[in-house]
Amino acid sequence: MISNLINNKIFTLLKVQYSNMLEYRVEIALWAISGIIPFFMLNIWTSNNLNESINISDVLLSRYFLCAFFVRQFSVVWVVFSFEEDSLMGKVSPYLIQPLNPFFRYFAQHLAEQITRFPFALIIAFFFFIFNPETIWIPNLSILILSILSTFLSFLIQFLIQSIVACLCFWTEKASSIERLLFIPTLFLSGLLAPVVSFPEYVKSWIYLTPFPYLIDFPANLLSGNETNIRGGLSMQILWIFLLFPLFKKIWSEGTKKYTAMGS
Amino acid sequence: MNLRKYLKVYKKFLHTSLASELEYKTNILVDLITAILSLVGSIFLLSIFFQNNGYIGGWKFEQALIIQAIYTILNGITNTWFNPNLTEIVKHIREGTLDFVLLKPIDSQFYISLKKINPSGFLEIMLGFLLLFFCIRINQINLNLSFLTLSLITISCSICILYSLWFFISTTTIWFVKTWNATEVLRSFLYIGRFPLNSFSFSLRIFFSVVIPIAFITTIPSEVLLGLSQFWKILLEVIIAMIFLFTSRKFWLFALKFYTSASS
Amino acid sequence: MVQNIIDVRNLSKSFDISSKEPGLKGTIKHFFRRQTKSLKVIKDISFEIKEGEIVGFLGANGAGKTTILKMLCGLIYPSEGSILVSGYLPFRRKENFLKNITLIMGQKQQLIWDLPPIESFYLNAAIYGLDKFEAKKRIKKLSEMLEIDEELFIPVRKLSLGQRMKSELLAALIHEPNILFLDEPTLGLDINAQRNLRKFLQNYNKETNATICLTSHYMKDITSLCKRVICVHEGEISYDGKLDLLLKKLSPVKEIIIVCRSEEDAIKLENSGFTIKNKIKNEITIKIDNNSITSSLKTILNNFDIEDLFINEPPVDEIIGKVLIKKDYDI
Repeated sequence: MISNLINNKIFTLLKVQYSNMLEYRVEIALWAISGIIPFFMLNIWTSNNLNESINISDVLLSRYFLCAFFVRQFSVVWVVFSFEEDSLMGKVSPYLIQPLNPFFRYFAQHLAEQITRFPFALIIAFFFFIFNPETIWIPNLSILILSILSTFLSFLIQFLIQSIVACLCFWTEKASSIERLLFIPTLFLSGLLAPVVSFPEYVKSWIYLTPFPYLIDFPANLLSGNETNIRGGLSMQILWIFLLFPLFKKIWSEGTKKYTAMGS
Repeated sequence: MNLRKYLKVYKKFLHTSLASELEYKTNILVDLITAILSLVGSIFLLSIFFQNNGYIGGWKFEQALIIQAIYTILNGITNTWFNPNLTEIVKHIREGTLDFVLLKPIDSQFYISLKKINPSGFLEIMLGFLLLFFCIRINQINLNLSFLTLSLITISCSICILYSLWFFISTTTIWFVKTWNATEVLRSFLYIGRFPLNSFSFSLRIFFSVVIPIAFITTIPSEVLLGLSQFWKILLEVIIAMIFLFTSRKFWLFALKFYTSASS
Repeated sequence: MVQNIIDVRNLSKSFDISSKEPGLKGTIKHFFRRQTKSLKVIKDISFEIKEGEIVGFLGANGAGKTTILKMLCGLIYPSEGSILVSGYLPFRRKENFLKNITLIMGQKQQLIWDLPPIESFYLNAAIYGLDKFEAKKRIKKLSEMLEIDEELFIPVRKLSLGQRMKSELLAALIHEPNILFLDEPTLGLDINAQRNLRKFLQNYNKETNATICLTSHYMKDITSLCKRVICVHEGEISYDGKLDLLLKKLSPVKEIIIVCRSEEDAIKLENSGFTIKNKIKNEITIKIDNNSITSSLKTILNNFDIEDLFINEPPVDEIIGKVLIKKDYDI
């Protein structure tokens, strides 16, 4: 019954946010374009035959970077920036009165944006295949479903991390600079710029214990058909979600307590 | 007389924006750590490319580090001057306070592009210079006066091009208030400035020297430092920088004309 | 002879409004063939303002007041006609012109949010080319007039709206402009702050003989500051002249409530030829023409035994409310 209610709320929110996002087509198209860094990286790898040293063929590496692009497109999170703006403009107070955690609102916003973004990502993939016809492949259905799942889990992890950072808005005025700090390891260690296999041993020894390789490297390997430990990857993703979720709950209740105590 | 007034006003700009930034001290600290991590990450990525290869695009690792150094300096300049002022312009237009700027007896482009400064970018600039001096040592570059002037000229041209690109985007805010996405596209394109132009495939090389001259921004000054640059390339960069500066000025005046005859 | 400091002749302004059909199809169509309509918001207006005058611009929302003000200070390029402000064409925004004027907009602020106002003052002083000594002198003088003191050293974000407005004024006046353009300066202020602001403007005008043009929705601003008003209705000037005259013409009658000592007197008064509005026992309300008010009152006081008497002024707000919705009032 309760879950039914929540579902209904989320569905309505999603519908509203989707029509809202449709208004921002141009912006979203630009967002999609701004995510093409993986292709530049691929260009460096293949133009200099760097992939030979890590034993990945041109085709597989191209697929890897294409998938990295896709995973990134559907796991981008910007909740810190929305929340910071809303709290600066005093919109948080009305949200707190409503019987729905405001982060559901942001969650719906992100999902709606992903749906709007989908066609643009497809167009970019289409051009990619035109220039690199040899890379076309069709993953089998179970792999496709699993990689969509793992992309969604990656999105969830990032959403939770950023929501935790966003809650810091209750204590400091500019939480977004902390997010920019966290973005640096995400950028370099998640596999967006180089597959984790290519990392030197001294990094590989500890990196699989952090959440970073599960954000892009794991789902991208899965989808592109590169070698990866499916069960291990999925369970690490779920483990991280189980670790982060209580933390978010805790910091949210502490934050709102502080917020209402200040009475601003 | 006039120059003295502008210098005096600029001193005030420095004073006021430094004072306002110092209101958020922890923020500056976080930004500093971000800058250091970002540099470490970039060098890490570069080392991955070079781990099994001596050359990339004809550049040795030590030489490619020069590009990294120049990129870091320029990125520091972007974060110190261009980015905070862009944020400010968006605010001026959204809140309608551009009117105040236009009614000041001072050049509006000067005011709008230099009003703000973000001190945390300074460290990035310093980091860049440190790396640059280190590179000069390990590449055994002999500095002499003509050499220094040439590199100074090319770097100033790079700054001009970079400034114009950012100012173009700022100017478009007069028509489209939301320019964050355009900024992201520019940022992702600028990202390739971390690598030697020759490490990309031919088509990308053309794109990044003709359509968006990012290649000029970091590669040419680095080539000058290594004594590899031909004279025509330097001349070309000077010409392009002047064209960019000139067009950005004209574009701003055009946008102002639009603003004053159409806004209500 | 007092000079005309603002001279506006046959001024018009049209804006191009582009219309767009909804949906993707409309967007594409709009992209290729933009359909624009020209909307005339200011229609052939002329007026002049003399040095030292305080003029209020009245009109409903969207009547064109702000557009006129912005054209006067050079922020909007006029479509037709000419504007001359202290001998300059405003839209050229020449340095010497800009040093002569200032624009103050309620709720839009130029002060630096995170810093005390004093920092913004010195920044403005540098922009207007004042040296430090001169700037200090002017800040001191203006802060005395505005009755602000320690607020100058508190970050703007911590100031109240009233204190912030005073600081805004100081920042806008540091270069001692001859002409002040104020767009809704009292918006959002409480009654006390409004009164202080008006008092300050009055003093400033008296001391420096500066010309002041203001728009406001608060009638009190207009009635207590401006001797002259210009009413704007749908882009045209519907009235330009003395405020008293406007009030008199708009409400030619006053209501007088007379309480008679006896009921007989009341009945006698009722039948003595005055226009009676209503009568409750021995309390009678009559309407008297503005220009015969003294003579009529004399008659009444002489002939009847009066216990009490009130003159009901129709509220100015109400009258001016009429101005805002009417086009012509046969003046």
